[in-house]
Amino acid sequence: METTLQPELHQHLQDAKARIDAATAAEELRAVERDYIDKGGVVAGLLAAITTLPPEQRRDAGQGANILKGAVLKALGDRKAELEAMAIDAARSGHGFDPSLPGTSIRRGSLHPVTRVTRELEDIFSSMGYDILDGPEVEIDVYNFERLNIPGDHPARDMHDTFWCEVNGAERDSNMGLLLRTHTSCVQVRTMERLQPPFRVVVPGRVFRQETVDASHEHTFHQMEGLVVGEGLTVGHLIGTMKTFLREVFQKEIEVRLRPGYFPFVEPGFELDARCPFCATPGAGCRVCKQTGWVELCPCGMVHPAVLQMSGIDTEKYTGFAFGLGLSRLVMLRYEIDDIRHLMGGDTRFLSQF
Amino acid sequence: MFISYSWLNRHVDLAGVSPHDLARDLTLQTAEVEGVEPFAPALADVIVGHVLSREAHPDADKLGITKVNVGSGEPLQIVCGAPNVGPGQLVAVAVIGTNLPDGNGGTFKIKKSKIRGVESMGMICSERELGLGDEHDGIWVLPFAPDDNGHLIGLPVAAALGATEGHYDWVIEIDNKSLTHRPDLWGHRGIAGEVAAILGRDMRPIATELPAHGDAQSVPVHVESKGCSRYIGIAIDGLKNGKAPEWMRHMLLAAGQRPINLLVDISNFVMLDVAQPNHLFDRTELKADGILVRDAREGETMVTLDGEKRTLSTADMLITSGGEAVALAGVMGGEASKIGESTTQMLLEVATFAPAQIRRTSQRLGLRTDSSGRFEKHLDPTLPMKAAAHLVSLLAELQPGISLPSAPSEGGAWTDPACDVRVRPNRVRAVLGLDAELLPNQRMEDMLTSLGFGVSGADTESWTVRVPSARATKDVGLEEDLIEEIGRSYRYDNIPEQRVLAEIAPVPRDERRNLARRIQDRLSGSSAFDEVMTHSFLEGNLCEKLGIAMEPTIRAINPVAEGYERIRRSVVPSLLGLVPNNLQLRGEAYLYEVGKGYLPEVTQGEFQEPTEIHEVGLVLARSGSVSVSVADFANTSLFLLKGTVEDLLYSLERARPGRAGIPGLVWVKPGEGELIPPFAHRGRCMVAFASDAKGNATGPELAFVSAIEPGVGAALGLAGDSVADVAFASVSIDSLLSAPEKPVLHRPIPRFPGVKVDVAFALGEDTLASDAEAIIVQSGKGLVADVQLFDLYQGEKVAKGMKSMAWHVLLQSDTKTLGDKDLHKFLTRVEGGAKRIGGELRKD
Repeated sequence: METTLQPELHQHLQDAKARIDAATAAEELRAVERDYIDKGGVVAGLLAAITTLPPEQRRDAGQGANILKGAVLKALGDRKAELEAMAIDAARSGHGFDPSLPGTSIRRGSLHPVTRVTRELEDIFSSMGYDILDGPEVEIDVYNFERLNIPGDHPARDMHDTFWCEVNGAERDSNMGLLLRTHTSCVQVRTMERLQPPFRVVVPGRVFRQETVDASHEHTFHQMEGLVVGEGLTVGHLIGTMKTFLREVFQKEIEVRLRPGYFPFVEPGFELDARCPFCATPGAGCRVCKQTGWVELCPCGMVHPAVLQMSGIDTEKYTGFAFGLGLSRLVMLRYEIDDIRHLMGGDTRFLSQF
Repeated sequence: MFISYSWLNRHVDLAGVSPHDLARDLTLQTAEVEGVEPFAPALADVIVGHVLSREAHPDADKLGITKVNVGSGEPLQIVCGAPNVGPGQLVAVAVIGTNLPDGNGGTFKIKKSKIRGVESMGMICSERELGLGDEHDGIWVLPFAPDDNGHLIGLPVAAALGATEGHYDWVIEIDNKSLTHRPDLWGHRGIAGEVAAILGRDMRPIATELPAHGDAQSVPVHVESKGCSRYIGIAIDGLKNGKAPEWMRHMLLAAGQRPINLLVDISNFVMLDVAQPNHLFDRTELKADGILVRDAREGETMVTLDGEKRTLSTADMLITSGGEAVALAGVMGGEASKIGESTTQMLLEVATFAPAQIRRTSQRLGLRTDSSGRFEKHLDPTLPMKAAAHLVSLLAELQPGISLPSAPSEGGAWTDPACDVRVRPNRVRAVLGLDAELLPNQRMEDMLTSLGFGVSGADTESWTVRVPSARATKDVGLEEDLIEEIGRSYRYDNIPEQRVLAEIAPVPRDERRNLARRIQDRLSGSSAFDEVMTHSFLEGNLCEKLGIAMEPTIRAINPVAEGYERIRRSVVPSLLGLVPNNLQLRGEAYLYEVGKGYLPEVTQGEFQEPTEIHEVGLVLARSGSVSVSVADFANTSLFLLKGTVEDLLYSLERARPGRAGIPGLVWVKPGEGELIPPFAHRGRCMVAFASDAKGNATGPELAFVSAIEPGVGAALGLAGDSVADVAFASVSIDSLLSAPEKPVLHRPIPRFPGVKVDVAFALGEDTLASDAEAIIVQSGKGLVADVQLFDLYQGEKVAKGMKSMAWHVLLQSDTKTLGDKDLHKFLTRVEGGAKRIGGELRKD
């Protein structure tokens, strides 16, 4: 049809196409549209001029103007699509891209490493049907010692390096004596006061020992006590429980070793050692286990009948086992922390790593 | 406790059992071994030399030039200053290149040297130079007759002396804690008994009976104190003090005991052997009335043999003679009657004292001795006579001339603690988790027998087990105690693991723990705070700075350091204590801790336990000073923290985010008289309550948020000329637990578009934003869907005493699209409302 255009229209079309082809941006195309298509544009001018033509020419002139309009619109549409395609192509370019530029930083918070490990253990024990309990940190002699079978002049008290407390400058008498709990084992007694067997509980919490602080000693650290009382519980169950727990924590089979340990509130009492999970070859020895191949993980044992009886539990019917996991130690093992003082130090340069 | 391998071998044949095997077996069956170290390791490096000749040194009177045959090559020329070196002796030679201990934990290397012009090719050693005590009078002449021992020349000395694993002796260190319940294991013979049971070998016998005695008058012994259940006094004559034999001195050294003289060494040796402390008096220093064991008088003094003057109380027990204290019972002897070099007549004391009394005395005086440590473990009262027999027998071996002039004297009302315990084999298996195949009755019986227990009725279901006195004082009295004996003999390690079977039931919900977790998740998560754990102790200086030094606290009597007595009442002060350091290092601190505090003034329960509070403390601190312009409120730590706390309380579902007209939380400034912490800013603090349906405060106080008191900020070193931008908050978990839950409820998404309009008021500077917002909401007659403050201005453009506040307001209807007419009506009402609160609608 183009060929039938009158020369004047043909010229318009050529001009428009030249501008369209040269356009590299949407605004330029819009300018062409304005000049040719919009009100007051070329096409509108042509159509307005029709009335001035002799009637026999009007039909051709009208047709020609419409053809011009269609051709310009098509060229605009084509070019627009072309430019969009080019823009997408250009956006596909990886030119100058530097993957090593830093990611935009965001403020982030942190969960204390002790919290992280405590939760992990809580979740493991919860999944095995253990209650998670809490107990006071300022304790009474009777819970920390007496009812755990450690009476007043028992030499086992020496192991505890107890912080004794007073109120208003007055120390309290004997079994009402205030102290900072030296272990989470006090909650064993509190648990047995509240719950009827069978029960399974773990108690995470902070404990205190009057010790000089250095890289491996803190006067405040964390433990997790476990207590299971029921019918027919055996040393085998204790071993099975500890192995299951270790498998869950370290996500691999861990060899354990049980050896005699003395704690007045269990009988028999044990120390549980685990094959050091950090040795390159199991048992070979490394820095973490001080070359012994074993890490001392938790004291444990069958609950002493005196402890059960003091809490009114029938020892012919029920037996139980208890364990005291060194949470702080697990945290240090897990994150390779070489100085225990970081845990309670409140330095955000340490904390914000977690 | 240090155990010498050779010493053990005196009691049980250790052939074929290495020190390390022994350590492992003891660890798995008896007590934890903490270390195995060679004793006097230098003996493995020095070699046996035969002194061929000694000539005088041409240029030094005291030096000699020796020729020593060391087995290979030419004899060595060694210059030696010892007066006792002479031809024919076998001696310990450190040849060139040997490392010897330097006495300070290090070593030094023997080099070829010239001494006063004479070449010396090594060193002939004294005992001290080899780590064998303090002897340095001369070189160590080896205990071998040279004629019969030519084959030893050139061998390492340790080998010549009969080494085990290359060393003269080994020291096995046992963890004292794991022996707390075993008074019988505080000596080599006790440990040897365990070893014998483990190895299935017999014990070598020792003397248990005293030799015959003369018929002179015995030393009178009277026991008045209840704390002494047995006191034996044995007079021994014909003594000649001197040096203990080499084997005894070396064994004492291996066990960590410094040799003194024969008599003292024998006394120590017996204690370290059979675990019975004993004491030797020079009998000539005792008075004619003999020995009286009595309680001390209040304020009585005595000088103990360490030369210290001790002031005593009625709780202490004394050994006296002629009215004077001669020993602090069970703890330490007295200076006056102690054994000397010239002692020829002595009184041997072997006694049993009450553990608690000895323990209290030794704790009160801060005087822990080998003796007191053993007595407080509860010693066997049948042991003293056996130990006495052992001591006298050892002494007689070394000094055949001694005699007992008189019968032993004895006092005290002791009873034999040996007892019978019922043991049911089935119960033993049931507790250990073993069946009759793994642990048959016979094996159980054998285990008990080898540990010294007597079994009768072994053909029944209920055995009677005789517990010997040595085990019966404290350790074994229950069936469970014997289950332990059987379990450890079986080795716990060999017990197969079992799964616990139990009923399935949901674990009770612990709301406090759940809340704590949600708090941690929110604050460490989207709020981007760091969780800290701080000590429960509050440092005194910090308390002074915070103005809380006078608050009642529980206090540690024996703090870890002076100034760290206080146990905190609240978590916040600990957090404020962390601010200066963290600000300096990081420029900001966003900290929180979920923790406990203690209020001593409120007690509860049978034992008057102090009240424990659970809270989360938060601190937000940024370096630089806080902006004093009210317009900058949104960028202050105080309001950042307020926003954090609001978000936290919403996420915990103790309040719901506000909707127009009803705030989620009602924040109230505490009144003048209300108690706030001294470190809180009285003019810039606020308390949050949940809001009821009408927007009024309801329920318990949920949170307290405050800027730091400016003086406190300055005291903490946080501010110079200006005020530190530090805010803190506390949220009581106890209150959260008692506050009604306001679970998240879904609100429908609007169906019709809303109209946004900005509203600005000029207001008196004391008018609360919440009052103005209430006006805006009322003016909407239910159409105001959202009100957001976006501008707060005070300055030239508003009149003095006035401020400008501007809000983005969203009008929205549930039933229609709103038009200009609705907007107009709203603005007209707002204008009227502004006037009601003393302000006006700004139209500029």
